[in-house]
Amino acid sequence: MDIKKVLNEVTKEIEQSSSQQELQNVKVAYLGKKGKITELLKSLKDLSLEEKKSSGSKLNLLRIEVENLIKNKFNDLKIEEINSKLKNEYLDISFPPPNSIASMAHPISKTFDEVITIFGSMGYSVAEGPDIETDFFNFSALNIPENHPAREMQDTFYIDDKDKEGKPYVLRTHTSPVQIRTLLNQKPPVKIIAPGRTYRCDSDSTHSPMFHQVEGLFVNENANMGDLKGTLIEFCKQFFNVQNLKVRFRPSYFPFTEPSAEMDIAYEIVNNKIQLGQGDRWLEILGCGMVNPIVLENCNVDTNIYQGFAFGVGLDRITMLKYGLTDIRSFFSGNLNWIASNGFTIGDF
Amino acid sequence: MKFSYSWLCDHLETDKNANEIGEALTNLGLELESLIDYSEYSKFVVATIKDFRKHPNADRLNICKVDDGTNTYQVICGANNVKKGLKGIFAKDGMYIPGTQINLKKGKIRGEISEGMLLSERELNLSDDHEGIIELLDDFQNGTSAVEALKLNDPIFEIGITPNRGDCLGVRGVARDLSAKGVGKLKPLNFKKINQLEFASPIIWNINNDDNSCEYVVSRYFKNVNNSKSPEWLQKKLISLGLRPINALVDITNYITIDLGRPLHVFDADKIGKKLNMRLANANERILALDNKEYTLDKNTTVIADEDNALAIAGIIGGDYSGCTDDTKNVFLEVALFNPNSVAQTGRILGINSDARYRFERGLDKNMVIEGLEYASYLINKICGGLVSKNIEAGKLDNIEHKINYKFDYFNKTIGLELDPQKQIKILKDLKFQINKSNEKECEVLVPSWRNDVKNKIDIVEEIIRIYGYENIKQSVPTVSIDEIDKIDNSSTNKKYKSIKKLKKTLISNGISEVITFSFHSIRAQEILKGDKSLKISNAISDDQSYMRNSMIFNHLESAELNFKKGFKNIQLFEIGPIYNSPQSQENILSLLISTEENTNSIYKSEEFNFYSLTELTSILISSLNFDIKQFNISRSTSNTYHPGQSAELFMGKKLIARYGKVHPLIMEEFSKLKNCYAIELFFENLPIDSISRANSINILDSQFQFSEKDFSFLFEKEQNLYEVQRYVKGLDKNLIKNVEFFDLYAAKDLGDDSKSVTFRVTIQSKEKTLEEKDLEQLHKNILEKVTNKFKAKIRG
Repeated sequence: MDIKKVLNEVTKEIEQSSSQQELQNVKVAYLGKKGKITELLKSLKDLSLEEKKSSGSKLNLLRIEVENLIKNKFNDLKIEEINSKLKNEYLDISFPPPNSIASMAHPISKTFDEVITIFGSMGYSVAEGPDIETDFFNFSALNIPENHPAREMQDTFYIDDKDKEGKPYVLRTHTSPVQIRTLLNQKPPVKIIAPGRTYRCDSDSTHSPMFHQVEGLFVNENANMGDLKGTLIEFCKQFFNVQNLKVRFRPSYFPFTEPSAEMDIAYEIVNNKIQLGQGDRWLEILGCGMVNPIVLENCNVDTNIYQGFAFGVGLDRITMLKYGLTDIRSFFSGNLNWIASNGFTIGDF
Repeated sequence: MKFSYSWLCDHLETDKNANEIGEALTNLGLELESLIDYSEYSKFVVATIKDFRKHPNADRLNICKVDDGTNTYQVICGANNVKKGLKGIFAKDGMYIPGTQINLKKGKIRGEISEGMLLSERELNLSDDHEGIIELLDDFQNGTSAVEALKLNDPIFEIGITPNRGDCLGVRGVARDLSAKGVGKLKPLNFKKINQLEFASPIIWNINNDDNSCEYVVSRYFKNVNNSKSPEWLQKKLISLGLRPINALVDITNYITIDLGRPLHVFDADKIGKKLNMRLANANERILALDNKEYTLDKNTTVIADEDNALAIAGIIGGDYSGCTDDTKNVFLEVALFNPNSVAQTGRILGINSDARYRFERGLDKNMVIEGLEYASYLINKICGGLVSKNIEAGKLDNIEHKINYKFDYFNKTIGLELDPQKQIKILKDLKFQINKSNEKECEVLVPSWRNDVKNKIDIVEEIIRIYGYENIKQSVPTVSIDEIDKIDNSSTNKKYKSIKKLKKTLISNGISEVITFSFHSIRAQEILKGDKSLKISNAISDDQSYMRNSMIFNHLESAELNFKKGFKNIQLFEIGPIYNSPQSQENILSLLISTEENTNSIYKSEEFNFYSLTELTSILISSLNFDIKQFNISRSTSNTYHPGQSAELFMGKKLIARYGKVHPLIMEEFSKLKNCYAIELFFENLPIDSISRANSINILDSQFQFSEKDFSFLFEKEQNLYEVQRYVKGLDKNLIKNVEFFDLYAAKDLGDDSKSVTFRVTIQSKEKTLEEKDLEQLHKNILEKVTNKFKAKIRG
C-alpha cells in the first residue's frame, strides 16, 4: 500500500476540481463509504497488531490531510464562485441621482428658538395672545386712547367685525397686548416673553404687513431700569454672539412705558458687509422702558408695591441683521430656494 | 422737524458745533434723523483759471493753469464752460470728493499731468448738475473756503419728535430742551409788543353752536398792510428748510409755526364776513383748501365760518378763497386753542397732514397764545406796515397749573441709581419746572405750561433721567429664581413650543421644508374655502390680503405653484401658525402640503405618493407627539377642501386632532399646473399638552420568549372601520397579542359591491413563557370566532 501514491493521486484530483460538485465527487471517491481511503482503513482489521499500529496512524494522518485539502478547496471554490457572480452584479455608480433640495427650518423659527432659550436662561417663561385683538388690549389698556397721535405711529389693520364695546377688532400692531392679558391673569411677580405675529398696513423692502415681535415683561417689587438695560445687553450679546458689544440707550416714547428708551447697537461696514458690535454708526434694535404705572393700574396691579419693565424686539429685523438678509418680503414668499439658502438644517436647528 | 443751525442760534447761545448738538438732541430723546453739515467742505477753496489750452491728445479736454491763492496748479478739465478768468471751487491731490466718493489722485491724463480738480455741483453733492464746473459770480479772493463762497455755513438738522413732545415742534422748544441739557443758554424772545392798538376790529367772533372744539380764540385786525415779498432774512430761513416763500403774511405765519411751534392763521379780511363763528360743518359741506384740494366735510368737522361759508377747517388748514394774496390790504389774524382730539379725528378722516394739525393734536403751550399773537403782530406790523386793532376774543384761556408731589427716592427705585435730591432739583429747574415746597424727602413740582405730557411722578423721573443721561444708568442682570425655573417647567406655552420644535424636527427630517406665509386670504381663497365673513379686513392693502385665513392650504398651494414655476417637481412644505375661525377663535396648527409629479426617472424609481403614503406620514407626525394614530376615532372628512373619498379626520372625543387627504379637485382647478396635491392639518393644540411635551411615552413590550405570527383574512362590509377591528383584536388578549398589522386590502367586483377582503397578521408573544401549540390554536380560534361575530365578517381563505 502506497500512501504517498494515494496522496499524490487525490491531491491532483482535488486541485483539478473546478466546481463544488466535482470536488464532492472526489470527496466521495476517497472518503465516502466505499471510498479508497475508507476501504484502506477497513482493510486494517486484517493486519497484525503491530502493523495495525504503524499503518493505522499513517492512514489516519492521510485521512485528516485529505479532509483538510478538500475543506480548503471547498472554501476556495466558494469564494471563486461568489466572485464570478459579483462580476455580473456591477451597477453604474456614476448614474447621477435626481436633484434634491435640503429641507430646512425657516430662519424665523431659529430666532424664535434662540430667543426662548436665551430669555429662558434668564428666567422668562413664554406667554401668548391672539393675533386678532380688541381695541382695549391693543390700545386703551396700554394707555393709547382714541385719537392719540401714538395710534398713528402704527398703521393699524381693522376687522369689519366689532367687539363687545362696539369697536372694530384690530390685528395686533405689537405683542404688547400680551402684557395686559398676562397681568390680568396672573399676580406678580410676572416674568414672561411673548413671541408672535404682528401686523401693520405697510409694505416695502423693510416693512411687511405681517412681521414678528417678541414682547418681554418683568414685574416684581424692584425691577428697575438698570436691570432692563443689563437684561437687554445680555440678550443682544448672546443673540448676536458678540461679546464686545457697544450699545446706546436713548430716551424715546411709548405710551405704555415711562421712562421709555430705544436701544441701538453700533456697527461698521467692513468689506461691504455690516459688522455688528463696534463702530460709529448705530442700528435701532428695540424699544423698551419701565412699565407705565397707568398700565399696571389698568391691570389692577398695586403700584405702591410693584413696578417693572417691558421691551419689544422686532424678530424679523434682528434675524435680518444677524444673517445679513435684506428683503423682509422674501421671508413670507414661500420660495423654497430662499429657504434652502437661508434656512437651517435639522442639525443646526 | 427740520431747522438750521443758525435758526437754533436765534434762541440758543452756544459754543457747541453741529455734531455736538446733534448728539445732545439724540440723548434728549429728540432723535437726530439727519444732519446735513458742509463744514468739511472748507478744505475746498476758490481758485481762478489763469489760462488754458487744448489737450494735445484729447479733443474735449483742456489743460488749465489754476491759481488757488497760494500756488498754481496744472489741471486737466473736461467741462465745456472752461474759460479764462473763471472762478471755481478747487480740490487738491488727496482730497475726498463726496459726490463721486473717491480720493483725488495726482496723475497723468492722456499723457498730461493733472494736479487737482475743478468741481461741479454734483461732485459736491449740492445738486445733480454736472453740466459744467461751478462758476462763482461774486468776486471772491482765491483761497476763500467753499463753505463761505457757496454759503454752506448753516447745517440743517432733522429730528424725530415723539408724540408726547409737542413742545419741541418749534425751534424755541428744542433750544429750551438743549439749554436744560447744558448745551447752551436760552435767549429771551426778542421782539417789541405793539402798544398802539388803535381801533376795534370790524370783524368779531360770534361763536354759537359751540361743540367745545375751541377753548379760546383771540384775533387782531390789520388795516392797510402792504403784502409783498417777505424780507430776505425770512425768505432765507424758509428756503433753508426747503419751504417756498409765498408772501409776507403767509411767510410770517409759517415762520411762527416753525419758530415757536405756534400755528396761526391769516384771513384776507376783505374776503370774509363780519361775524365769524366756529361751528360744526353741515353734512356734505365743501371747502376748497389752501392745498388746492376740495374736501367734503361731515358733521363732526369743526369749521371757522362767516355768515355764509366755511372759511377754514379748524386747526388743520385754511380755505383757498379767504387766503392772503399779494393784493391783500386788510388782514384778520386768528390764534386759537383747538381741542387736540377733534383736530386729530378730523385730520384723520379727511386725510390731511398739515403742520397745524400735527401741532394741535399734540397739544400746545397755552401761554404761547398771547405771545404768538404779539409776535405775529410785531412781525406783520414791521414788515407790512399798517394799523393794528385791539384784541377780539372768544372763550376762556383756562391755564390750569399742574402740580405733582414727588418723592426723591422714587427716582432711585425706578432707575436703580442713587441721585442726590439737590441734583434732581437742579435738573428740574433747568427744565423750567418750579419747585414750590421741598424737604430732603420730597417736593412739590409745578409743571411748565408747555409740558402737558408731564402728568405723574413717573414723568418727573423720566425728565430727570433724560437730562442726567441714559448712558449713566448702571446695567445689572437680575438673578434667576427657583420659582421662575419652576414656572418655565410648568408653563403650558413653553411645553407647546417644545412640542412644536419636535414636530418641526420630524418634518424636516422627512424632507419637508418650513415656510411662513401671511395670515391672510385673498378674496378668491375666502370664497372657495368659505371662511367666516366676519374675518374681513376693513382697510386691506390689496385684494390678496382681504381676509384672515381660515386655513393655510390655499396659501400653500400658491407657494407650491410659485415653486413649480421655479422648476421644483416635488414640493413638500409645512407651516406651523394660526388660522382663524372667527375674530375670537384662533387655532395654531400644523399644515403641510405635498405636491408630487409622476416620477419619470427609470433608474431612481419611487412609489407614487398616494393617500396611504399620507396616512403613514400623519402617523409618523402623531408618533412624534407621543400618540398613536390608531388610538383616535377615524372618519371620512366632510371638509370641502378635500377629496371626499380620499380624506380622513381623527378625533379624540369631540376634539379634531387631524384632517388629511387629497386636495379637492375643485380647488385644484385654481392651480392647474399642480397635479397630485395632498395636505395634512394637525390640530396639535387639541392634544393634552403634558403628553405631547414628554420626551418619550410609548412602552414597547420586550420579551425574551419566542413569538408566533398568524395571518387572518376576512370579508368585511365595505365601510367597516378597520381601526375598530384592530383595536378589538388587540383587546382580545392584552397579555399575549403584541401586534396586529394590516397588510392587504382587496375590494373588487368579484366580491360584490358591499364588501372588502382584509388580511392582517397577529403577533403573539408571552412575557412569561414560550407558548405551546395548543395555547396558540385556542387563541387563533378565539380571534376567528370573535371577529366573525362582532363585525359580521366572513372568514376567507
